Amino acid sequence: MSRLLRVLLLLILVLAFVVLLPWQWYPREWRVWYADNFGASGFRQQAETIPATVSENVEEACPPDIRGWRKSQSIAGVDIAASPNCLADNPHAVAAFVKGTNNVGHMTLMDARLSPDAVVKGRDLDGDGDPDEIHIRLEVFELNGASPDLDVPVTQYSIAPGVTPGLWVFAPKSAGMSTENFESLLAQPGLRLPSPAIRVEQGDKVIVTLENTHYMPHTIHFHGVDHPFMTANGGGNDGVPVASEKPVMPGKQRSYEMQPRQTGTMFYHCHVEVQAHVLMGLNGLFVVEENRPNNWVQTFNIGDGFVRHSSVAVKEKYDREYDLHYLDLDKELGEKIQQSNDPRIVTQLINRDYNISQADFEYYTLNGRSFPYTARDSLIVTAPDELVKLRVVNGGSEGVALHTHGHKVTITHYDGVEHPKPSRITRDVVWIASAQRVDLELSTENDGLHSYGEGVWLLHDHQERGVTTNGFGPGGNVSAIVYERYLQDDGWPMTFGMSWNNYLTSGFYQRQDDGSGVTPLLPGVEKSGPSVLRLVILTALAGLFVGLVAGWLWRVRPRG
Amino acid sequence: MVKIQVVLFLMGLLLVAVNPVHGADEHHHHHHQMPGMSMDDTGMVMGNNKSTLPDDCKEITGEYEINVQAGTSYTKSYMSTMFGYSEHEWRVEPCSRITVNFKNEDDVRHQWMLHGLPKYLYDRGMFHMEASGGHAQTGVFIVPSDNKTYLVHCDIAQHMEKGMKAQLIVGSGSGDLWSIPGVSADFERPSGIVFKNPVFVVLLVGLVFMVVFVLGFRFFRI
Repeated sequence: MSRLLRVLLLLILVLAFVVLLPWQWYPREWRVWYADNFGASGFRQQAETIPATVSENVEEACPPDIRGWRKSQSIAGVDIAASPNCLADNPHAVAAFVKGTNNVGHMTLMDARLSPDAVVKGRDLDGDGDPDEIHIRLEVFELNGASPDLDVPVTQYSIAPGVTPGLWVFAPKSAGMSTENFESLLAQPGLRLPSPAIRVEQGDKVIVTLENTHYMPHTIHFHGVDHPFMTANGGGNDGVPVASEKPVMPGKQRSYEMQPRQTGTMFYHCHVEVQAHVLMGLNGLFVVEENRPNNWVQTFNIGDGFVRHSSVAVKEKYDREYDLHYLDLDKELGEKIQQSNDPRIVTQLINRDYNISQADFEYYTLNGRSFPYTARDSLIVTAPDELVKLRVVNGGSEGVALHTHGHKVTITHYDGVEHPKPSRITRDVVWIASAQRVDLELSTENDGLHSYGEGVWLLHDHQERGVTTNGFGPGGNVSAIVYERYLQDDGWPMTFGMSWNNYLTSGFYQRQDDGSGVTPLLPGVEKSGPSVLRLVILTALAGLFVGLVAGWLWRVRPRG
Repeated sequence: MVKIQVVLFLMGLLLVAVNPVHGADEHHHHHHQMPGMSMDDTGMVMGNNKSTLPDDCKEITGEYEINVQAGTSYTKSYMSTMFGYSEHEWRVEPCSRITVNFKNEDDVRHQWMLHGLPKYLYDRGMFHMEASGGHAQTGVFIVPSDNKTYLVHCDIAQHMEKGMKAQLIVGSGSGDLWSIPGVSADFERPSGIVFKNPVFVVLLVGLVFMVVFVLGFRFFRI
């Protein structure tokens, strides 16, 4: 090859390199100079739009009520109100909680899946027609826990489609399996988040026995409930491992005693390693109802929400009563129990590895569910000109700025203590600190203040992360105040906005390792290919260029 | 052997007869439920079957009595478990009648549930005993003729996962089940740090290979 040809080839290579080098890689001044002299480059079509995917496997929004749990009914002589929501509480369990599991028939207990000694109601001490000796038995259940043989969580409970964080909950002592049946991995309906609201009557002699069915030690602390520090026979009664008693070990039990003199919406929670145990779900409402004649209270409200058998005092003033339990969950904490099947390692992970001071919270639940599942069992259903009582607790570690669309609510009680009427506050954002309770009065009088009229009015935490699940919205603790006119027959709200189908697919709230969403439900952009090809050509050219130069140098100074 | 079995059987019968749950007042407890079911404060038994033969058995060919205790104290031999049975494996002959005396030594509920029995004879193919804390239950069932390994476990959340898992081997069985304490390994969870992290394994294997390769290369060059 002649020298001229070689130089020409090199020049062509350099030119190709210069042209192919991405425009943005040149210094800005050079580009400005070029554009000033030769004008802008030609129009380049952008990458194609990927159309939004129609999500597959959309879950049924409202599963049919095949067992007839929603309708108003009378079981074992207990009148149980119709449940307006799509998923209703098991009426057999409600009846057993009102009468006492010792006072209902075998069939009711079987349908309720309760142990005969779950709620034992004894003598009427004040002769006013209702029992005043109440013995409650609580067990501890792990939901979405580890298995040595399966790589999916067992005793499954989803807070939202496809979202199964590891959880611990208290539940009334049950009978039989923890799953729906042997073939199923799903938890039976009585085992769920939150730990259930407990109701007793003022002055009742209450014994709460903790039967620790879990593999970790636990206790119960009755926060705000009038209880002595020690039991009658000198046992610890405050539930605090560093102050009153040793924790209840796996397979063991302990009884707590109390006779509450004051009424109000209180709280109970496990006091072992509270930075983890409380936030795993071991906390719930504890309501002391006013003493009234013939006041058979519903000892447990499974899953909180609508109270199907309200106390006499509540019925005197209110048309309906709802328990609202807010909780934020740390995904990483829940994963600790799924990472190992060895209780010793789980203990290490929970007590020593988990660092709450570095934690962020991914899941925000109302009554143990996040949107859209909240619409299944936690809508506040009402009608015009009603008074509705809301008992609200924040079981989580962050505050809740509870906002009611279309309504201003009145705060009647703080931490179970009645607020004097003249100084009561009516507002549309109610701040609830951790462990705090507020009793709210929701009036549906259409006066432009308490209510702006009928509709589907959202009810949610106005700290915006509270309306997300794993950072995706809408999710979190979004629910709604729904007027009966806007409720469909199956209990699902009539909505006039966007379809909820995407939110009812299991991929919507999942993230990939890089943090992006799993499902391409929204329109996207095709990844552009040419730039990669261009870089490859550039690299090839550079290689050829170096090779030619090296060959030329080799020739000039040959060895030997 | 047969003598012992007969004696055990008689003892079992005695136990069954004396135990109020299954004795004369059995009907007092379950006026409306399926046969073989009883329930009270001490627990329950489902699928109790003393006499009905499975279709493939002409007669009862063996009598066995299983005395099993349950509780947190039976986990000492098996690190990483929290709940356990006094034994985790039993062997019986096909078409045997088995009496199980189940004693719960904890203060909370436990179960001894056996799955996979013929569904025409046992509701949902299940023989199920649940004993409240500190209580005992006794139940009887008859196994069919095929060689099969049956799962026995406690279905309270996490009790099986944390050790309350056992197997009943009928005849020659159909192979061990996974994660039975003292019998078989976990199916899904390898033990030890190395095997939990594939990157670690690849790096370690790569390092060992390179060291040996270099050593070998040098050795053969000299």
